[in-house]
Amino acid sequence: MSEEYEIPDGLYYTEDHEWLKVLEDGTVLVGITDYAQKSLHEVVYIELPNVGDKMKQKEVFGSVESVKAVSDLYSPVSGAVEEINEELADSPEFINSDPYGKGWIVKIAPKNLDEEMENLLNAERYREHLESLKQ
Amino acid sequence: MTLRHTHLYDYHKVHGKIVDFSGFEMPVWFEGIIPEHNAVRNAVGIFDTSHMGRIFMIGHDAEALLDNLVTNDVSRLEPMEGLYTVACNEHGGIKDDFITYRLAEDRFFLVPNASNREKDFNWILEHAKKFDVKVTDVSDTVAMMAVQGPQAEETLQKITLESLSEIRRFKCREIILGGYKALVARTGYTGEDGFEAYLWDTPLSTPSKALDLWEKILSAGKEFGIKPCGLGARDSLRLEAGLSLYGNDIDEETNPFEARLGFVVKLKKRRPFIGRASLARINKEGAKRLLVGIEMIDRGIPRHGYEIWREGRQVGRVTSGGFSPALDVGIALGYVTKEHSELGMEVAIKIRERLAKGKIVKSHPFYDEAKYGYKRERT
Repeated sequence: MSEEYEIPDGLYYTEDHEWLKVLEDGTVLVGITDYAQKSLHEVVYIELPNVGDKMKQKEVFGSVESVKAVSDLYSPVSGAVEEINEELADSPEFINSDPYGKGWIVKIAPKNLDEEMENLLNAERYREHLESLKQ
Repeated sequence: MTLRHTHLYDYHKVHGKIVDFSGFEMPVWFEGIIPEHNAVRNAVGIFDTSHMGRIFMIGHDAEALLDNLVTNDVSRLEPMEGLYTVACNEHGGIKDDFITYRLAEDRFFLVPNASNREKDFNWILEHAKKFDVKVTDVSDTVAMMAVQGPQAEETLQKITLESLSEIRRFKCREIILGGYKALVARTGYTGEDGFEAYLWDTPLSTPSKALDLWEKILSAGKEFGIKPCGLGARDSLRLEAGLSLYGNDIDEETNPFEARLGFVVKLKKRRPFIGRASLARINKEGAKRLLVGIEMIDRGIPRHGYEIWREGRQVGRVTSGGFSPALDVGIALGYVTKEHSELGMEVAIKIRERLAKGKIVKSHPFYDEAKYGYKRERT
């Protein structure tokens, strides 16, 4: 079995295996990492917040259920939900097949992005974090 | 503690995702639970079940000893016939459930759960003292695999000269399979037609026969789309079929009547058996709680330990739960108090902090028997 995980440069990561991508308009996309989807395997449901919901950094905003397990989603930043990926309701498998693309989960209008970014990891540090989990 | 391996570990470590199960390093999946599950429902799949126990009971008193230990009537078993049996403790709690095969008049073969291997063997030895019988644990010298699905017979027929269609459900026969002497029984734990094969004289230390037979079955089933299946699919298949899992749905704290296994309790059989007095009392008083099947109406997957609610309060607890690929919803088995156990009743399952709606349904099996399972209409 391959233990290789895709960790794109330019994204930001949490220790709980969410990723964050800053868009040009200042909003951010959030999803779960390749490592997270491989650990969960075969995602069958995603519990999403509603548009307009407020969220706080490191707080639970939803969950991902796979055949084997359920895992909470932690918000990488504080802000308000601007959009949710409606397609995941019918195609939760996008989380597995394309975790950084079609498997995005929510779009957030962040509140304290600059300050809160300090709590996130870049690709290199996230890779080190995954290495540390192996031991 | 070092984890134990089965005869087929060399295959699993290359192809499977390994987890610890009852002290064994076993594959939870090879490709994925859903594709493996679907292969068994629609075509054929193969499982390593060598983590289970294999016990021989041989001697003049073998039948008498077994009838003393299990609630079902072993005396009515013909040679080369199997029977689903439950063994209880003095209080009527379930010690284990297993298939008992009668290979000859004085020769029986038992297949206990992996988690109960040592417990069962020691318990049987303890009771065997008063009987003229020899009890041997052959788990480490007999490999075991299950080939399950509507095309299981076609698959195995390619590697044996015996006519497998002559082996009816719950019957067994000693045949040459893939060049090796094996006991083949038409039994399983998936709800589908299929076979369980016991490969004699295959020590754990030199498992090449088991690995070779495994590969031969995979090759034979290739044209049907056979998949090697892990414990994940084994669990989702048995749950969909409504079959209890020892340690989850049944244990020493549950009795066969509340687990809806009353059909294996023969209170009037000729020989007395352990737990009979308690079971007779429970039967007379009636079970206070019952194992029911629940199908989700709301989204969400019920899992072991979740609370079952009705009319604003907790009425039971989920013992097994998961996603059903055949029904495309979450399903569960769980115990509820008797007044909340009627078919069609709406219940709620507490999935984390949320109460998700579901209803009590027929669970043995959950799926439509015209479409799935060994009774399906053959096309």
